[in-house]
Amino acid sequence: MSYVPQQPPPLPSLPATFSGARSEFFRLVSRGAAIELITLGFYRFWLATDIRRHLWVNTAVDGDAAEYTGRGKELLIGFLFAMAILVPIYLAYFLITVEAERFKAFASVPLLISFYAFGQFAIYRARRYRLTRTVWRGIRFWMDGSGWAYAGRAMLWTLLAVVTLGIAWPWRTAALERYKMRHSHYGNLQGDFEGRGWELFKQVWYLWLIAPFAMVLFPLYPFVYAQLKAVEWRWWVSGIRFGGVRLDSTLPNSAFYGLYWKIIGWMMLLVVVFVLYVVGAFALVATLLGGGTGAKQMQAVANHIGLLVPLGIGYVAIILAANVVMRLYLVRDVWATVLASVQVHGIEAMADVAAKGDLASALGEGFADGLDVAGF
Amino acid sequence: MDSTSPDSDPGSDPRLDAPGEAQAAPAAQAAAPGGPAVYFDGLSNRRQNVMIGFANQLVMRSADNFVSWPYEDIRRVDGPSGTLRVSCLSASPLARLEIRDAALSAELIARCSHIDQHRLTRGGIARIVGWSLAAAASIIAVVLFVIPFAAERLTPLVPPSMEKHLGDAAVVQIHSLFGDKECSAAAGQAAFAKLVTALRRPADLDDGIGSQVLDTPIPNAFALPGGRFFLFRGLLDKANDPDEVAGVLAHELGHLKHRDNLRQLIHNGSSSFLIGLLFGDITGAGAAVFASRSMINASYSREAEEAADSFAIEVMHKLGRPTRPMGELLFRITGKEAGKQPALWSSHPLTEDRLARMRAADRPASGPPLLSTEEWKALKGICK
Repeated sequence: MSYVPQQPPPLPSLPATFSGARSEFFRLVSRGAAIELITLGFYRFWLATDIRRHLWVNTAVDGDAAEYTGRGKELLIGFLFAMAILVPIYLAYFLITVEAERFKAFASVPLLISFYAFGQFAIYRARRYRLTRTVWRGIRFWMDGSGWAYAGRAMLWTLLAVVTLGIAWPWRTAALERYKMRHSHYGNLQGDFEGRGWELFKQVWYLWLIAPFAMVLFPLYPFVYAQLKAVEWRWWVSGIRFGGVRLDSTLPNSAFYGLYWKIIGWMMLLVVVFVLYVVGAFALVATLLGGGTGAKQMQAVANHIGLLVPLGIGYVAIILAANVVMRLYLVRDVWATVLASVQVHGIEAMADVAAKGDLASALGEGFADGLDVAGF
Repeated sequence: MDSTSPDSDPGSDPRLDAPGEAQAAPAAQAAAPGGPAVYFDGLSNRRQNVMIGFANQLVMRSADNFVSWPYEDIRRVDGPSGTLRVSCLSASPLARLEIRDAALSAELIARCSHIDQHRLTRGGIARIVGWSLAAAASIIAVVLFVIPFAAERLTPLVPPSMEKHLGDAAVVQIHSLFGDKECSAAAGQAAFAKLVTALRRPADLDDGIGSQVLDTPIPNAFALPGGRFFLFRGLLDKANDPDEVAGVLAHELGHLKHRDNLRQLIHNGSSSFLIGLLFGDITGAGAAVFASRSMINASYSREAEEAADSFAIEVMHKLGRPTRPMGELLFRITGKEAGKQPALWSSHPLTEDRLARMRAADRPASGPPLLSTEEWKALKGICK
């Protein structure tokens, strides 16, 4: 009789934790915004890197924190390479447009679609860069698969979603996520995605019906959007698999209501401050100019360089403040809220994973920046 | 290997100013103080609980493993607060050692001379700021000085056939926007052709120029790349005599002569691209980029308009016709412009300034009228 060793009982599930101090993140993004202003935006590569480093290193599973090993310089170089490739593409696009327009007016509009495809390619490659810079327990994540294959799938699914007025959108998300996760790896563990389009559809279909009414009854809209995001996050996290490791999320539907209203509140406050500032600057310039009243005087003040310059400065300051608010709530708080809801099952399957996979270049991030499809 | 020789280079011994060392110093001769840490070898994700010791290298021991790292190769990497996480240049790139004990961390830091070499310091940020400012300044200098020069030099190099392609594409668009509303009354056509021919000669342009009147109430006229221009009926309706229209047409011929469309295309395309490199994904910065782009393009366009006005004045002088009527026609259409819109963003010089210029250059008529009274009547009725 052979002895069959009994399977050890499965370990209880583990929570993921986020330990980053909010004040530290606030300091990071407000200082970053100031340097971004001084450098006319070139600091964005280093700021994006610092934000990721903060989020990654404060994210821990089973007591061990992750690490982000990307550097701002890599993003800058990726951006420069992407520009070197994009310039001839833009030129070619221009020439083809001219030929198409000669043939028929506005025949070049479909060519814009090629930029959408390129944007999808960039999204895939940028994800690949970020994933290969993610390290946990001395092993990196990595990705294979092809950016163009992904872009092709994204195009077909988007077409289907448009044709069905958005009903196919959950299936689109599931299919694209499946492609991304099946080509994601942690060492020699292969990723997978088990979220089903139907599962997502069941949870969001009524939001799809409410959305047109929310356009009219606009205070409803933040609720609809916040709920959609919460459902989407929960469904996405719960679908992630790495080998025998399962993720699960208990994020409530209402998780982001407060968050979006706080953003709206801050934005309104910023707008009020800006309006007061403009009115104040206008009154000041009008007093300094003196002279008559009436429409003519108003026009003279409105076009005065003494008003335009402070207006420009005020505008930039408001934009930077708005960016700090958005990063604080939409990046840091969303990340922390989602992580607090994550449970990791079957971590024992991750006990002895061997290192595998190479680093990917930051070219994809450069394209994403050049095409304005960058994520965090 | 044993931890009997704590540090072989006392000259650069950084322990002297490490406060945690004070009580450990007497024991240093026998065995360096050590403690527990967590080690990941970078080849597998197995978590190894090790005891570290400070010999002439950093040593890590566990029941089944022994590793040593030279102090000068040890670098700090991102770790959660309260944890010192280090890597080693001469080990596997992702091998990590994590120390949670503060005293032990301080002890290791004190021994590693290059531990913070990879960190972005204040000086590093200053360098980024410096280079970014240099890059931004060079972009602005290129936009303001190099691109206008390059557009000037590149324009003659573009073959006219290619420019004609651009014009053809624009014509197709105009026809689809305004419909097929070419005015074609025979007598009006003849008068229009006579006027254009009269202007073409002193302008030194060949008969490759194509011109049409479109039946639209907008008072405007514009030139397209590849030697074609359109006159809208609205402008004819507002005009009182042939010299007024002739001045406007001469202005458009100026654009054709200077190939302004192509020049502006090259200029605006490349300057927009360069300005777009700034700011990137900062939410809301699009408006700032848009405003500065429009300002630069408008300033370039104003220069071209002024040059076209000069050209029109020159042509009218050659024909011995007055220049003032053109300015008056423009003024009749737009009225006084100062204060109506920010001058920095307007694509044309102020109409009153143009009128003043036309007035100053005005000379009494010395040549024959460009159109007879009947011809002028026919031209006004070209769209009927």
